[in-house]
Amino acid sequence: MNKDTITSTRELELYFGPQHLGMVGNFSITLKVEGDRILEATSNPGYLHRGFEKLMEYRTWIQNFPLVCRMNVVEPDSMEMAYAMAVEKLAGIEVPERANYIRSICLELARVGSHLFGLWAYSNLLGFDTVAQWAMYHRDLILDLFEELTGARVYHIYIWPGGVRRDFPNGFKDKIVNTLHSIGSCVPDYDSVFFNNRIFYERAKGIGKITQEEAKKWGAAGQVLRATGEKFDIRKVEPYAAYNKVDFEIPTREDGDAYSRIWVVRDEMIESVHMIFKLLDKMSEGEVYNRVPNPFKWKISKGETYVRVESSRGELGLYMVSDGGDKPYRVHFRTPSYTHGLIILEKLLKGASIADVGNIMISLYVVAPEIDR
Amino acid sequence: MQEIESTFKDISVSIPEDTKLIITAKKEDLLSILRFLQDKGYNHLALISCVDWIEEKEFELVYIITSYLEENEYTGREKINIILKTKINRENPQFITAIPVFENAEPYEREIHELFGINFKGHPRLTPLFLEREYKIPPFRKDFDTREYVKEFFNKIPFVDEKK
Repeated sequence: MNKDTITSTRELELYFGPQHLGMVGNFSITLKVEGDRILEATSNPGYLHRGFEKLMEYRTWIQNFPLVCRMNVVEPDSMEMAYAMAVEKLAGIEVPERANYIRSICLELARVGSHLFGLWAYSNLLGFDTVAQWAMYHRDLILDLFEELTGARVYHIYIWPGGVRRDFPNGFKDKIVNTLHSIGSCVPDYDSVFFNNRIFYERAKGIGKITQEEAKKWGAAGQVLRATGEKFDIRKVEPYAAYNKVDFEIPTREDGDAYSRIWVVRDEMIESVHMIFKLLDKMSEGEVYNRVPNPFKWKISKGETYVRVESSRGELGLYMVSDGGDKPYRVHFRTPSYTHGLIILEKLLKGASIADVGNIMISLYVVAPEIDR
Repeated sequence: MQEIESTFKDISVSIPEDTKLIITAKKEDLLSILRFLQDKGYNHLALISCVDWIEEKEFELVYIITSYLEENEYTGREKINIILKTKINRENPQFITAIPVFENAEPYEREIHELFGINFKGHPRLTPLFLEREYKIPPFRKDFDTREYVKEFFNKIPFVDEKK
């Protein structure tokens, strides 16, 4: 039977999310469907809008850290990094070298944890429950590391202006190495059960395809862009922390579909683990925190800055204005999920089938709290 | 970068760091500057932001423009962040949309319309994005006091300090 010869004239409006089994996170999409085909999709963010950027204008520079990390539940460290970098730029605070290494290690650990979380969501959606449980377990091992290092599992508030809060505890280097080895030893299992699985190929190949020109036109970043063959990575473009001290590859794929994006995620995790080993080898002894005046009484001179870091989902920017007071005058985050969720998702869903909505959305790595802020 | 100074009049360019460039322009010139920068290869609009300078009675629109790689080569241009700023009147704020130049301006302008109340002419859908109810003053303006609003809106629930 030829699909094109049958047309149904009934258009339906379908609310997909926030209470939907195929939806991860507090996000909703309004779909206009005809049969199984999506004619039009509209993203509806706002279920997690807490007005953080406004609240930050009422709090002192250092009081904002608990808000900053809550913008992204999955990977709060890159948010802290961006905020700390912006404050350092405006106030002219130097960071000791060891702190830079620790920051990089912390960010890479968070990237692996975040990618594992993404893998959990994605594999769960495709029906690979076993892989999902593995990914969640391995993410938990990384959270254990963070617990020992920072005292908190999810929101660390570890990176702050002037360095990091405290040095590695005794024997922590070995713990990182052991944990990463035990996760790395499972890569063949992941490969044979998930990445080289025929079902994953059939479900993801050619789904949500985006060309490089479209990706650039719609402001994509991160693995959405890298899956189209572009080696754009802020860690290389504008190195921060200790990323200019180590050598690393930027994994890319050519096709720009969901399959490529998930493969890029897998390769990035492995590259991050290698990078952590290199960083641990090169790390020097010394101070981890530059003594600065009492943070509760900071007044930062007038100015503005834009900083960007590579979070696990793409380019994370922060535009910050100071009017010379003890509070920021304006804070505005450029989050990667914003363009991915509000532009690219809408465009890619056109013509897709209902069963692929979650597939496309999670492969784009849309994290709702990041959009709403 | 002298090029842009010679092409456009009435703009001021400052370079606070090696990789940063702050351009202050008049609002009439803004779209043509955006087009000029796009032709020069700065093809990534990273962010549109808005700052409420309440004492000067002006809104400042901030466009942050960077560039992607050229044929997968690192040329050094992608390091440069351009901060392009323009000021518009705070009373009855109006501006033109940047969607014809950068397609991804759409959600940013929608957000600024909702949170600051700036009307972008030519924007296809200035519908609410985040907020669920109407506000008398757009909530991200400086004269909107969150504490006052909370007291007014949730006045049935007593505050902790009022109980004593």
